Amino acid sequence: MSRKLACILLACGAASAAEVSFNRDIRPILSDRCFPCHGPDAANRKTKLRFDIESGASITLANGKHAIVAGHPEQSEIVRRISSDDKAVRMPPAYAGKDKLTAREISLVRDWIAQGAKWEAFWSFIPPTRPALPEVTDRNWPRNPIDYFVLSRLEREGLHPSPEAGRRTLIRRVSLDLTGLPPTPAEVDAFVADASPNAYEKVVDRLLASPRYGEKMAYRWMEAARYGDTNGYQTDGERNMWRWRDWVIDAFNRNMPWNEFTVDQIAGDLLPHATLEQIIATGFNRNHRTTGEGGIIPEEYRVEYVADRVQTTGTVFMGLTIGCARCHDHKYDPISQKDFYSLFAFFNQIPNERGFVWNYGPEEPFVKAPLPAQKARLDALDQKLAQARENWEAVQPKIDKLQRKWEKKAAGDWTVTNGLAFRHDAEEAFDNKRTVEAPGPPADFNYLDPCAYAAWIKPETPNGGILSHSEDFFEGQGHGLYLIDGKVRFHLIHRWTDLGLRVESVDAIPLHEWTHVAVTYDGRRNASGVKIYVNGAPVRTKILFDQNNEPFHQKDAPIRVGGAGGMRFQGRIAGARIYNRELSAEEAAAISTRDTIAQIAAMKTGRSAADAAKLRLAFLDTAAPPAVKQARVNLDAAQSERRTFYDSIPTVMVMSDGANRPTFLLKRGAYDSPGGKVTARVPEILPQLHADWPQNRLGLAKWLVDRSNPLTARVTVNRFWQSYFGTGIVKTVDDFGSQGEWPSHPELLDWLAVQLMDSGWNVKAIQKLIVMSAAYQQDSRITPELLRRDPENRLLARGPRYRLGPEVIRDQALFVSGLLVERIGGPSVKPYQPPGLWQELAGGKGYVEDKGDGLYRRSLYTYWKRTAPPPYMMNFDSPSRETCTVYEQRTNSPLQALDLMNDVTFMEASRKLAERMIEQGGDSPDARIAWAFRQVLAREPDNVRRRILLDAYRRFAANYSANSEAASEIIHQGDSPVAAGLQPTELAAYTGVASLILNMDETISKE
Amino acid sequence: MTRRDFFIRGSGGLGVAALAQLLRAGSTAHGGQPGFPNFPARAKRVIYLFQSGGPSQYELFDYKPRLKQFAGTDLPDSVRQGQRLTGMSASQSSFPVVPSKFAFAQHGESGAWISELLPYTAKVADQLAFIKTVNTEEINHDPAATMAQTGFRLGGRPSMGAWISYGIGCETDNLPAFVVMISNSGGGQPLYDRLWGSAFLPSKYQGVKFRSGKDPVLYLSNPSGFTTDNRRTYLDELAQLNQASYQDYGDPEINARISQYEMAFRMQASVPELADISKEPQHVFDLYGEDARKPGTFAANCLVARRLAERGVRFIQLYHRDWDHHGNLPVDLPKRCKDVDQASAGLILDLKERGMLDDTLVIWGGEFGRTVYCQGHLTATDYGRDHHGRCFTMWLAGGGVKPGITFGETDDYGYNIVRDGVHVHDLQATILYSLGIDHLRLTYKFQGREFRLTDVGGRVVKDVLT
Repeated sequence: MSRKLACILLACGAASAAEVSFNRDIRPILSDRCFPCHGPDAANRKTKLRFDIESGASITLANGKHAIVAGHPEQSEIVRRISSDDKAVRMPPAYAGKDKLTAREISLVRDWIAQGAKWEAFWSFIPPTRPALPEVTDRNWPRNPIDYFVLSRLEREGLHPSPEAGRRTLIRRVSLDLTGLPPTPAEVDAFVADASPNAYEKVVDRLLASPRYGEKMAYRWMEAARYGDTNGYQTDGERNMWRWRDWVIDAFNRNMPWNEFTVDQIAGDLLPHATLEQIIATGFNRNHRTTGEGGIIPEEYRVEYVADRVQTTGTVFMGLTIGCARCHDHKYDPISQKDFYSLFAFFNQIPNERGFVWNYGPEEPFVKAPLPAQKARLDALDQKLAQARENWEAVQPKIDKLQRKWEKKAAGDWTVTNGLAFRHDAEEAFDNKRTVEAPGPPADFNYLDPCAYAAWIKPETPNGGILSHSEDFFEGQGHGLYLIDGKVRFHLIHRWTDLGLRVESVDAIPLHEWTHVAVTYDGRRNASGVKIYVNGAPVRTKILFDQNNEPFHQKDAPIRVGGAGGMRFQGRIAGARIYNRELSAEEAAAISTRDTIAQIAAMKTGRSAADAAKLRLAFLDTAAPPAVKQARVNLDAAQSERRTFYDSIPTVMVMSDGANRPTFLLKRGAYDSPGGKVTARVPEILPQLHADWPQNRLGLAKWLVDRSNPLTARVTVNRFWQSYFGTGIVKTVDDFGSQGEWPSHPELLDWLAVQLMDSGWNVKAIQKLIVMSAAYQQDSRITPELLRRDPENRLLARGPRYRLGPEVIRDQALFVSGLLVERIGGPSVKPYQPPGLWQELAGGKGYVEDKGDGLYRRSLYTYWKRTAPPPYMMNFDSPSRETCTVYEQRTNSPLQALDLMNDVTFMEASRKLAERMIEQGGDSPDARIAWAFRQVLAREPDNVRRRILLDAYRRFAANYSANSEAASEIIHQGDSPVAAGLQPTELAAYTGVASLILNMDETISKE
Repeated sequence: MTRRDFFIRGSGGLGVAALAQLLRAGSTAHGGQPGFPNFPARAKRVIYLFQSGGPSQYELFDYKPRLKQFAGTDLPDSVRQGQRLTGMSASQSSFPVVPSKFAFAQHGESGAWISELLPYTAKVADQLAFIKTVNTEEINHDPAATMAQTGFRLGGRPSMGAWISYGIGCETDNLPAFVVMISNSGGGQPLYDRLWGSAFLPSKYQGVKFRSGKDPVLYLSNPSGFTTDNRRTYLDELAQLNQASYQDYGDPEINARISQYEMAFRMQASVPELADISKEPQHVFDLYGEDARKPGTFAANCLVARRLAERGVRFIQLYHRDWDHHGNLPVDLPKRCKDVDQASAGLILDLKERGMLDDTLVIWGGEFGRTVYCQGHLTATDYGRDHHGRCFTMWLAGGGVKPGITFGETDDYGYNIVRDGVHVHDLQATILYSLGIDHLRLTYKFQGREFRLTDVGGRVVKDVLT
C-alpha cells in the first residue's frame, strides 16, 4: 500500500510540471497493465501490437485504426479501450488479473498522446552523463552538489528543507551509519566543543578511517551476496566461507575501488597472476545455497547454482530482474530467455561442478586460505619437512651400506604390520559358496577412514567377492574387494544408488594363476584417492562412481574372505589383509611378495621390485641403527605434523573456469529440457563486451564496470543511498527495469553515478559525499504537514529517521554495556540463542552456544544457519540469506518488543550497563540515569524523560528492596560475572532502568 | 479493572483520551488487505496437519487390492512411463512391486477404504474428504515441502500462512495470525524456517512458533526476577518515554511501536493461558489420547491448535516428522500412525462438538507420497518405498468441505492419476477459496512481478467443496 501512495505522491509532483514524460509517467502504466500481453515476451503476445517498443505500437490494427495517433487522443484506440466502461472492450481485460486504469492514469495517457506521444528509450539503459547542477533559489543551503538536486525538487514542490540537526543527533546518526556503533560520550563532547568550521568533516573522516567502517559496510554486502555458514537446503551442513567475509571487510577498510571490488569477486581467479586474495574474493559466486539431500538429481541443482549466480549478479550489479527471463522472455524488460542463458554460460564453466554436494565441508573447487600467521607456520612446517627429507636423503648411502651388511645374516620373515586390522594368512579354497568369516574390525571403517584391502587370489571364474566388510547383498552397505569381469574392483558403499565410490582396474587379471591384488584408499572422500595394485605394482584405474558424501557404520557386518556383497569366490585365496590406513606404494609392493626375508636376502640376483621393497622396509623396521630410525621417525613426524596443520587451515570455495561445458537455453527453465545452444554474452539491449576482452567471466567483470555500462554505477550508488536515507533514489533497489519505480531524483542519481566512476570508483569518497550533504544533516522531526505531503520522506525535506537494522541494535547494546568484544574476522561465533531451535527442526546436537568472547562479538560474525537463522535477527527483519537480498525491510512487531525486553542478550546488556552506571555514572540516581542516557543517545535526558526514568528507578528500587531474591535473579542473566562489590538490589533497580533505556524507540532508531 | 484501564491510569501525564485513541489506532486486530476476503468465506481458519517426509498412501488410504497379484513383479514401463525417479532408486536393477502389508476395510456410510493402521481416523471417515490424486513435480523433500508450503520449489516465497495473514489478517488482537507447532518426537527429515517464513512479505506475517516448555513463544516470558506487575508498570513508563519521543519527532512509527509493546504484553498474558492444557477435562483427553498430556507431542499440539482456533488465530500449522520410509516401512510406519491417528481424529470430533468444524478447514497430508515399488532390499518381512509425487492422498475436513467423499482416482498400481488430478497449486487455490480468497487476486509486487501463492498455476477444486 505505502508503495502505491508514494508513487502517487511522486507522480503528483511530476505532473505539476505540465509536460508528460514517457519514461516517468507513461511507461510504468504500460508496463504494469499492458506488457504482460503486449510486451517483450513473444510467447505471450496475443497480437502484433506491443507497447514496449514504438514500432510495435504503431502497427495498423485489424479494424484499420491505430492504437496511438500522436496528437489525437480521441482517435487513439488505446484511449478508447482503457477508458471504456464495457467489460468486453476495456483493457486490460478482467481475465488478466490487472486493475483497470485510474482516471488519473487515463488522463496521463491522453495528455501524452495529445502532446505528441513522444517515446523515450528506457532511462536506465542509457549511460548516465553528469547533469549540470540545477538552479536553486536558496543558495545558502547546499553544502555539496547533492543538495542542489534535493533543494531544486523541494523548491518545485514548495517545500523547505529542515534545519540542521543538533550536533549530538548528528554525531550519533553518522556514527551509526558509518560504523554501526554509537559515539562515546567523549567523542560527542569533542565534537560539540569543536568550534572549527570542519568539525563535522573531522568526525566523518575519523569514522571512515575506523576499522568498524569495513564491518558496517560488509554487513549489507553479506546479505546481498547471500552469505551463510551452512549450505541452506535440507540437512543444511556447515561450510566455511568466512575468509571471503573477511576479505570483504578488508576491501572496504582499504577502500578498494568499486570496480576492483567487482572484478575481483566476479573473476579474480581469471586475472593474470591472481593472488590468493583475488581468488578468495570469487567466493562471492559460491555463497549460493547447495544441497546434499540424498536422492536429488544432481544436474537439477547444479543448474540452480548457476542460475543463482546469474540472478545475484543481475540484482546487485545490474539492478535487473534477470531471473524473470529464466523460463520465458521477460514480461516487462527487453531481456530474452536467450539473454538469460547467454549470461548463464559465463557462470557455467566450473570444471566438475557437482549439484549434489558434500554436506560436511567445502565442495570443489575450493582453496586453502591460510591467515598470515597460518601461512607463516605452514612455511615453517614446509621448511621443517624439507629439512627432515634432506636428513633422510643424507642417510641413504649409509643405509645402503648398512643394509648390505645386515642382509648377510638376515633371517626369518617380516611384513607390514602397522595398521593391520585383519589378517588371514592361510590359503583357503572357495567353491562359490563358503566364506571364511571373522568379527568386524575393532576400528571404525567409515567413509573418511583410510584403509587398504589386499589378498593373494587364484580365481577360477572372472567374478567373485574376495574380501569385504559389508552387508551381504550386492547393493549393500560397506567396503568390498571384488573381481568383476576379471577386473579388480573396490566398493565403498553407503547407498548403492547414489552414495559411495566404486573404482576398478582398467585391465583384467589372468584366471587360474596366483595374483596379488591390493587396494588403498586415502580417506579423503574422493575416488581419485583409491589406488589399485596388482602384484605390487600400481595399475591404471577407472572411476565408476564418485559420490562419497555420507558417513555410515556397518558395525554388525563381519569380515568375509571369499565373499563380498552377496558374491562368492571360486578358486583360492591366501594372505587376506585389511589395514586401517593407506599403504604407501612401497608397502603395497612389500606385501605382494611371498618370498621371506631370509629367501630374499639369500638371493644374489633376480630380486623383484617387491622383494627389494620388502627387504628395505624390513631392514628399516628391525635393524636400522638409531640415527637412521630417528631420521625416518623425524620425516614421518614432519609429514604428519604438516598434514595435520594443513588440514586445520580454513578453506574457501571459489570460482574456476575451463570446463568448456556447452550451454543451452533451457525450455521452461527445466534442467532436462535443453533448447538451442548459446554462447556467453551479455543481454542484447546493452552494450556488448569489447572484442579484445576475454569472452569469459573476466570479460563480463570488466564489462560490468566499464564506463559504457549504464547500470552498475547507478545501482551501486542507489544502494549506498538506501543505507543512509532508508529508501533508494530508485526505491526498487533491486529493479531498475520498467516495473521498477521512477527515481525520486533522476538527475541526482546520474550525477552520483558519474561521480563514483570519475572518482576512480572511490567508495569512501562517495559515502563521505553523502553524509557531508546538507540533505543528510537535516533534523529528522516530522511535521504533520510533511507527514501528509511525504510520509516516506522521498523528497528529503527532513533528515532520515527509522529503526536501526538488527545487527546495529544488538551491537549497540553490547557496546554501551561494555560487553562488545571487538576483533575483526575469524570463524563465525554462536551467541545466545534459545535452546532447542535446531533440534526441533532437525534433531542432532543442535546449537551449542559459545562461552566467553563468542557471545559478545559484532553481529556480522554471528553463525548463520540458513534453514534456522538466528531468531533475534529474523525478528528484526533480517533477510534469511537464502537468496540475494538488497531491499531493506523494516517492520514493527510484538515479537521485537518481547525480544528487546526478555532476550538474555538485552537483559545482560542492561545489567552490564547498570554496573557501569553505578561505577562510572556519579553518585546520584539522577546523575547515573543521565550518564546512561548519554552512552546510548549521545545526549542528556530532558526533564520529562529524566523524571520518568527516575520514577522508574525508585519503583524498581522499592520493589527489589522488598524482594531480594528477585533482585538476585535479575542481575544473574547471562554468562558474564556480576561486578564485585555492588549492592544487588541497587544493581537490579538500575538494570530495570537500563532495560527501559535500551527499549526506547529512540534507542533503536536513527534520529 | 482491565489491563487497558490500568495502562491508561498508570500512564500518568499522558492525555487519557489521546492514549485511548492511540491504542485503538494501533490495534492489529483483523488487519488484512482492502477488498479481502473477496467473497464470502466458508472457513474462517485453517488447521494444517503437515506430515513431513511423505506418508505412504499405499498403507494408509489408497487401497490397491490388485497389487497382491503384481507383488514382486517389476513395475512395467507402461506404468512408469519414463517418469523421473530420485537418485536413491533410479539406478536400482529392478523395481519390484510391493503391496501393502496392512489390511484395509471400508468405513462409515461413505464406505471409505482406510487402513487398519488408522482406526481412529476410520471412525471419522464420514467427516473427511479424501483426495487421492494430489500431485507435485517434486521428488525430493526440500523442494517438495517448500512447494507444498510456499507454492514454489525453491526458497524465497512467502508461506501459505503468511499469504493468508497478509490477505485477511487475524480474528484476535491478542495472538498472532499464523502459528506453527512442531512435534517434539525427534527423527526424520529436517524442517526449515522458510516453510513458515514471510520471504518478501513484511516479516510480521511470518509464522510464530509455539513451543512446548517455558517459553511457548520465543522471548515470551519475563526474565526471572521480573514480575508481571513490574512489566505492566515498565510498559507504562516505556510508553511515556516513547510518547515523549513522539512529541519530539512526530513519527507515527513511534505510536505503532507503543501498540506493539501492548500487543506483546497481551501475548504474555494470553499465550501461557492458551498453552496450558492441564485444565482441559478428561473427556477431551479421551478424544485426543493420553499423549495429549505430554507437551510437545502431536496430540498435545492438536489440542493447542483447537484452543488457538477458538481464540481467533487464522492459520495454525502443525508439523509431524519422520514419515520418510525408504526402508523398514512395516515397522516404522505403524509408529508414526500411532503418533497421529487418534489426535487427528480427536481434533475433528472436538471441533465438531464445539460447532467449530463448519468454519475450520482441517488438512492432513505430506509433501508427496511413496512409490509402488520397493526401494532397496526387498525381503519377506521388510520393504521400503521411495518418493512419489505423481499422486498421493491427503484429506480435508470441515470449513465448507464435502464430508465423506473421495475425490480423484489412481490406476491399479496407484502410480498414475486416472481422473481428477489435484496439483499442489490447486489445493492451495482451494484452501484460499474456502477462506474467501481468490488466489489470483492475493498478490504482492516484488522485483517487478505480482507474485502469488499459486505461482503461475492453481485451479479451485470446487468438487470437494459444498
